[in-house]
Amino acid sequence: MRIFFATDVHGSETCWRKFLNSGQHYDADAIILGGDMTGKALVPVIHDRDDAWHATLLENRESLVGEEAVAAFEDAVIRRGYYPFRTTPEEVRELHENEAKWHALFSEHMLGTVERWMEIADEKLAGTGIACYVCPGNDDQLEVDDVISKAKHVNLAEGRIVELDGYQMASSGWSNPTPWETYREEDEPQLAERIGAVVGQITAPPERTIFSLHCPPYASNLDDAPQLTAEMDLKEAGRATVPVGSKAVREAIEAFQPALGLHGHIHEARGSARIGNTLCINPGSSYEQGMLLGAVVELDGKKKVKRFMLTSG
Amino acid sequence: MAPAAGAAPYEERALFVRKATGLVRGWSVRDAFIYSAISINFVTLGLYAFSFANFIPKGSLFWAAVLSGAYLVFQAITYASLIAAMPRAGGDYVWISRTLGGGIGFVLAACGWWFILWHWVPIYANILNIMVLGPLSAIVGWDHGVHFWGRSAGLFTSSMIVAVMASVLVGLGIRAYARFQKWCFYGGVIGLLVMAILLLAHSKGGFISAFNAQSHDVYHTTGDAYAATAKAGAGSYASFASFHFGEIILLIPFLFFFNLWSNWGATLYGEVRGASDFRKNIYAMGGALLATTAVAAIFLGLFAKTFGWNWYQASNAAYWAGTGPLGVFPYPGTLVSFFTGSSALQFIIVGLLSLWFFGWVGTVFLSSTRVVFATAFDRVLPEIAAKVSSRGVPYVALSLMLIPSIPISYFYAYNTKFNSWTFDATLVIAITFLGSAISAAILPWRRPDIYNASPIAKYRVAGVPLITAAATLFTAILVYAIVKWFQDSIYGVNFRNSEYYMAVLYGVAIAIYVGSRIYRRTQGMDLKMVYGEIPSE
Repeated sequence: MRIFFATDVHGSETCWRKFLNSGQHYDADAIILGGDMTGKALVPVIHDRDDAWHATLLENRESLVGEEAVAAFEDAVIRRGYYPFRTTPEEVRELHENEAKWHALFSEHMLGTVERWMEIADEKLAGTGIACYVCPGNDDQLEVDDVISKAKHVNLAEGRIVELDGYQMASSGWSNPTPWETYREEDEPQLAERIGAVVGQITAPPERTIFSLHCPPYASNLDDAPQLTAEMDLKEAGRATVPVGSKAVREAIEAFQPALGLHGHIHEARGSARIGNTLCINPGSSYEQGMLLGAVVELDGKKKVKRFMLTSG
Repeated sequence: MAPAAGAAPYEERALFVRKATGLVRGWSVRDAFIYSAISINFVTLGLYAFSFANFIPKGSLFWAAVLSGAYLVFQAITYASLIAAMPRAGGDYVWISRTLGGGIGFVLAACGWWFILWHWVPIYANILNIMVLGPLSAIVGWDHGVHFWGRSAGLFTSSMIVAVMASVLVGLGIRAYARFQKWCFYGGVIGLLVMAILLLAHSKGGFISAFNAQSHDVYHTTGDAYAATAKAGAGSYASFASFHFGEIILLIPFLFFFNLWSNWGATLYGEVRGASDFRKNIYAMGGALLATTAVAAIFLGLFAKTFGWNWYQASNAAYWAGTGPLGVFPYPGTLVSFFTGSSALQFIIVGLLSLWFFGWVGTVFLSSTRVVFATAFDRVLPEIAAKVSSRGVPYVALSLMLIPSIPISYFYAYNTKFNSWTFDATLVIAITFLGSAISAAILPWRRPDIYNASPIAKYRVAGVPLITAAATLFTAILVYAIVKWFQDSIYGVNFRNSEYYMAVLYGVAIAIYVGSRIYRRTQGMDLKMVYGEIPSE
């Protein structure tokens, strides 16, 4: 069985569309998205007068004249993984002063986008025979699960065991605590309990088991993230890295020894590592460039997975 | 409505960012600057490269350093643009492979960042000998040591010291190494300040007296060693700042040994921020390049004032001809320390300057291990190449650097022919940079999706994308240098045997790539999958 795994697309529609096409592109039987599918930012496109607008993307301020220019800018924002919205200077100021209001607006855009993504998926995957699994990550609000559950051809994998052509896959998008206090994170003991509850449902032998755990195992080199100062600046210009993965994830892998561990979370830590018999992969993420980093893995039921490839599509 | 008294004026918000992993505030240009400055390294690379200037006697080293330094800002812009367009990508290998193809990416990166750096081990070692171990041995009166570090056995021994030091520093991890580099930088800057003050404070007459006295005490010269050195390396050298453009540009291929490395520094790029991070990368790399160029220009001026320009050129010429009365490399750090007359102070001055070496030594393996990792993740090299110990030490990748460097260091030390081939060390890396420069120049057309999604898409010069303009200019100077290296025997690299040797290196890289591709295909995993873009529609 061949699977394709990608993760951390963070709202990039280009990456999502590539993900949906990846099964056919790589001739995979199943495609798996490891989490953090929603975007990080709202970008206001501000109306000045008549057909004149302005907006800022990546600190480049753009003056936009006419519907065509505005639509092209919005496309660029969507490709990047952010959510554009048309607004007025007054409303931007109001949002700036009212955090609850812009959070609500964010949720509206984010959930609306996920809904649209599920529609695209249903359209693209229908009749392909390719199984698609998505497990939201720590950056995804809990409401995302309900939207995914409603899709016909996308299966929500969070907190359960799914059957994959003779293999069982246990999934969770939760992580250990991060400095950003995201939506799905908890202390290591609670995380261990959560993972234990899912893994406890496995009936397949280790060589026929996959762990899809968003957070990489601690000190696996798949979890090396730039060290931060107290002010959230990068230390040593980002060259100093520290392991930030989960000890609970590592212990679960060490104890169960599944054939394959699929991880994400740390975009910079692309790579593969072995923990005992388990091949652990973090394909990394370059969602901002619309590049879908992923992994093609060939599973043959043997103790050690030998055939795999990190891709950048 | 006007803001209330004392309240900050409202600034229109361009972005509403929710809580999400990876959103950081920024990074320090100063930190990135330090790494770039250590990579260009005025002391270890600059002072060594300057010693070749006498081979183009009519060229002004001062102008060559200034002009090439200024021109290479295009290199900084090229690399800052590549980083902005493909951050976290992993350097030349990924940029070239994603733009020109996996095979070209692998071959250029393997030769430029892996194979050729085996040959840099004895080059680093030679610099260690002539700038650190040799001078310190002489200062403490260990004459046997001075001779030892100048012989083949000494060179091989110091090569092993370099290899072990680089391995230990890489093994300690980037975090520890980055801290170590920073302290070396600060200490090294103090050393340079002391050196500048001593050069400023003393006249040429004072230097002649100090040199004659101390070279007698330290290196056991007799008589007027200053005059003997001038005579031994006499030549019709152009004056310090004479401007003969045709001769000046002939010096640039020599100077690339020194100032082509600003891109070894900043590699970070923000996720939500855009243009400011792009500019920060230019400030860090370009700033380090220009600052180092300025330091070089100042020190060359000070050498001219205090040593005498003709004498400085002659001392280097005499060294390379093997006729200098000193018998060792006329290391300006040692020459300046002669002003003190005190062995302890001389030791401290040379010791402080040696921090430029120690901060730099790990670079010989650090980037190479990253390339080995990247190619292993792409499955060109076997999985084992990316293996790390439980403490995170990339021991296989390190072994791939360390083990071949041992016989190469041996041949370098004991075989003068082989030694001469290693001038290719700069050339092969320049060819890799050329691959990145071409990739950058064509990026807007070759990968418009990536280019248009980046903050650099906005920057244009006369309607041409900035990345294309900068990369084309950088390409031009690289092509010029490569042609000169191949054409002109004065650079010491256009020997037939040297060319064969290089061809073998490229051949090995091609063989690994082709072999790997065939092997993966038998596994049902075509390497083409690694780079092939998935359609988004």
